[in-house]
Amino acid sequence: MSILSELMVILLNGLQQGAIYVLLAVGLSIILGTLKFVNFAHGALYLIGTYAGLFIALDVTLSSGKLQEWGYADIGLGWGFLAALILVPMLVFAIGLLMERLLARSFYDRPDTDQILVTFGLAIVVQELFRVLFGSNSLPFNQPEYILSVIPVSGPMTLPIVGQFPRWRLWVIGITAVLVGLVYLLVEHTDFGLVVRAGTRDAEMVRLLGIKISRPYLVVFGIGAALAGVAGVVGGPLNVVNPTVGMDILVPAFLTVVIGGVGTIAGAVVGGLVIGLTQAALIGLPALTIGSFTLNFSPWAQVGLYAIAAIILLVRPQGILGDEEVAP
Amino acid sequence: MSSGSESRSDAPSLLETRGLVKEFGGLVATDDVSIDVKRGERVSVIGPNGAGKSTLINLITRRLDPTAGDIVFKGDSIVNLKPHQVVQRGISKSFQTASIFPDLTVMENAEIAALAAENGEFGFNFLTHRDKLTSVHELAENTLESVGLLSRAGTTAADLPYGDKRRLEIGIALAAEPDLLLMDEPTAGMSPEETQATVDLIEEVKEELGLTFVLVEHDMEIVFSVSDRIVVLNRGRVIAEGTPDEIRGNPDVQEAYLGGVEL
Amino acid sequence: MSDPNTTSDGGTVVADESLVSRWERIREREATVVGLTAIAVALFPWLFARAPVVSDVLLGYQSLATLILIWGIFAVGFDLLLGYTGLLSFGHAAFWGGAAYAAGVVANNVSADPIVMVVSGTLFAVLLAWLLGFLSLRRGGIYFSILTLAFAQMLYYMSAAPLAFLTGGENGLTGITVTPLFGLFHLESDLPTFAGELLGTWLYLFVGVFAVLAVAAAYRILNSPYGMVFRAIRENEQRAEFVGLNVWRYKLMAFIISGAFAGVAGSLFTIHGSYVPLQSLYWTESGEIVIMSVLGGTASLFGPIIGAGLYLYVENIVSGVQQLTVPFTDIVLVNDFGTYWHLLLGLVFVVVIWVAPRGIWGAISDVREFVWDRVGGDRR
Repeated sequence: MSILSELMVILLNGLQQGAIYVLLAVGLSIILGTLKFVNFAHGALYLIGTYAGLFIALDVTLSSGKLQEWGYADIGLGWGFLAALILVPMLVFAIGLLMERLLARSFYDRPDTDQILVTFGLAIVVQELFRVLFGSNSLPFNQPEYILSVIPVSGPMTLPIVGQFPRWRLWVIGITAVLVGLVYLLVEHTDFGLVVRAGTRDAEMVRLLGIKISRPYLVVFGIGAALAGVAGVVGGPLNVVNPTVGMDILVPAFLTVVIGGVGTIAGAVVGGLVIGLTQAALIGLPALTIGSFTLNFSPWAQVGLYAIAAIILLVRPQGILGDEEVAP
Repeated sequence: MSSGSESRSDAPSLLETRGLVKEFGGLVATDDVSIDVKRGERVSVIGPNGAGKSTLINLITRRLDPTAGDIVFKGDSIVNLKPHQVVQRGISKSFQTASIFPDLTVMENAEIAALAAENGEFGFNFLTHRDKLTSVHELAENTLESVGLLSRAGTTAADLPYGDKRRLEIGIALAAEPDLLLMDEPTAGMSPEETQATVDLIEEVKEELGLTFVLVEHDMEIVFSVSDRIVVLNRGRVIAEGTPDEIRGNPDVQEAYLGGVEL
Repeated sequence: MSDPNTTSDGGTVVADESLVSRWERIREREATVVGLTAIAVALFPWLFARAPVVSDVLLGYQSLATLILIWGIFAVGFDLLLGYTGLLSFGHAAFWGGAAYAAGVVANNVSADPIVMVVSGTLFAVLLAWLLGFLSLRRGGIYFSILTLAFAQMLYYMSAAPLAFLTGGENGLTGITVTPLFGLFHLESDLPTFAGELLGTWLYLFVGVFAVLAVAAAYRILNSPYGMVFRAIRENEQRAEFVGLNVWRYKLMAFIISGAFAGVAGSLFTIHGSYVPLQSLYWTESGEIVIMSVLGGTASLFGPIIGAGLYLYVENIVSGVQQLTVPFTDIVLVNDFGTYWHLLLGLVFVVVIWVAPRGIWGAISDVREFVWDRVGGDRR
């Protein structure tokens, strides 16, 4: 392999890893930007998305957990991946609406710390509920082979320069690009988006203008949730599926938001790219040998992600695309 | 503190802003504002909504960084200081809303202000029992006495009626015995009685402490009754400056206020 | 704490009111607080693990009593930050686990003297808190929580792979043999005679001394200018700045002080277990200290300790009970409780945040105030 093709592989892997973070970060970021609501349960929505995607797409036999004990071990629907990709966002959208109405709404006027704590508690509840029902074991989530029986989505694909590259990873990048593009259009170019953006700037003023802001807020929450659900579906086959994935992915997702700058979709995309590429580069770069000393980068992959975040925040506390004047 | 109240033109400047400019994006909030406050003077800053009054206060207290210009206090530039350092130099601010520590008692509120005055901006005294800080306690007591709240020292601040919260707030601002007090619309959101009580309090402070203050206020009645000099801002610029009598008859000011209604 | 009616008044008959108010005054005194803490610490292992009837009901054991004190120290320090200063750190595992590793590494490579271990672990935690505080406090509010979380995770991944030669990686740090205290007293052996019956092991005495010192230090800090400034920052940060306080440095000090408490606790944890699990740096540990403090009651000295005790008790003992019944009856509340306890804990936590954010200690205070009013104590 040439150096160029190795770099291209790193770039594509970074885009794919970043894509999952972007999907999560866009939702977190708009909810944080418009509603000033911190959602530590956002990872739980990813968790729900992953499990729901798995159960809709494939036939699954549980080997542990209460459902298995109660005699419901075979719970997969086996409807295929496309069905999961369509149904899961709808399901998680609905869950997002419920979450906004039943929980988040009561906490808009309470201190940030209460919001963090209550959503953290909710995240624990969801995680433990899944552990009780489906067991602690990791479940296999095989990559789909075909969508609609004709479009191949698995296996390697030959690209110019790069050579062979897993087809599914390209799909993840593509699906993310389309969804984030749609949300961007919605927020930047529709009346709905105008209200949301105005609300981000000055919620009081929007209310004074006589616009009922609670409905757009509700929808914003739902969209953010749905994106997290999609992240769960497309990311499921690439990561493990177990009850702790939600919590595990929450931290990098939040970092993505903070690095990119809160409240902007572009910020979430930039943040996701920075994190994804950093991670892919550290994993993909060959070991460096100086004399008898060999420096292997891959153990530093996770650390590098946080180090990059630290450096960026030292230089630009408001994030790469964050507003200059940080409100007090 | 200051002596007489007449003929201040030759007195030294306490606070001077030199060509202060603040831009937000493309919007110019203050445009080349130069004001000069002498020691012992009571200056009011008035102007229609959006004239740049709050921006000016925020620039002086160093909550905002000016785009251009300088701020000189007691002969030194304070433009590179942090907000708490400005307070330590002798500029106190009373907020638009009663900004107090709601869950603490009235006495504790005053003690915190007194602590900052006696102990400076920071100290490593985390193992010193606060009963040993007698000077802090005395200063806090004096402060409460001067704003008439000593009898309520044990009350939780949140339980005070609004007018008393306001008094406490002014007390907190005065505890440090500042050279200059900035007051940002001290009667905003008050009932007529509370407004009157506040006016009395300001008059009291004015008489007793001989304090220099800069008052930002909507209520013309208060402004004309307590000020030595009035600065009128409109659209970020100083359009007039003079004694209350001079300002009252100034056509530019009337124009600004009437014209100011449009937006 | 103890019952007000047990205070003696020197034989003279005193009216109820003055008894109550006198108790109120005594209660506030530093010596009283520290003394009562020492008594509670001394009685706790006996009551918990050895006393007739009580210990049979509680099913407690010595090493859990020690562990509860260790987490109690952690919780007291954590609450200085969360309850009093109003800063929610989600990264305190860094100081707990960091100190645990530092103490362990020092034990394996320099000296396994327990005092050396505690000092070096705490020192490491303080330096780390200074660094992470400096970075995280650049942003306020929620960003602070997220940044502390992120930096603590960075440490976790560092000790998981790149620093595995020092930390033992996934396996954790093993092979720690703590040497006797002052070269004389083996920590795991029982104290002589009566002390052994009461306190149990030398280790408990060692940890207990630190626990009492921690409460004394926290009490002193809360009654120092810092205590006032911390609460002022929590109540109205902007105002605190505008009375002329350097809010940033006070927040950094709050962070470092609470890091120091976590450091003491983390070092003791290594001495207690002779082992440092990688898990001790994972962010779930940060989550646990948050849950303990909130359940017990933030902005109180003893609430978080109660929270720590209750949490560890449920985790280690109640979770082993297969059927949770209504006491003294056969009515089964939960079958297979061990599977559900974490889920139930999460639900309880959500409910507490929602309706009773002051936690258990808040509830105790409310009840006490109610009783006091009835008895006629003057609160104001």
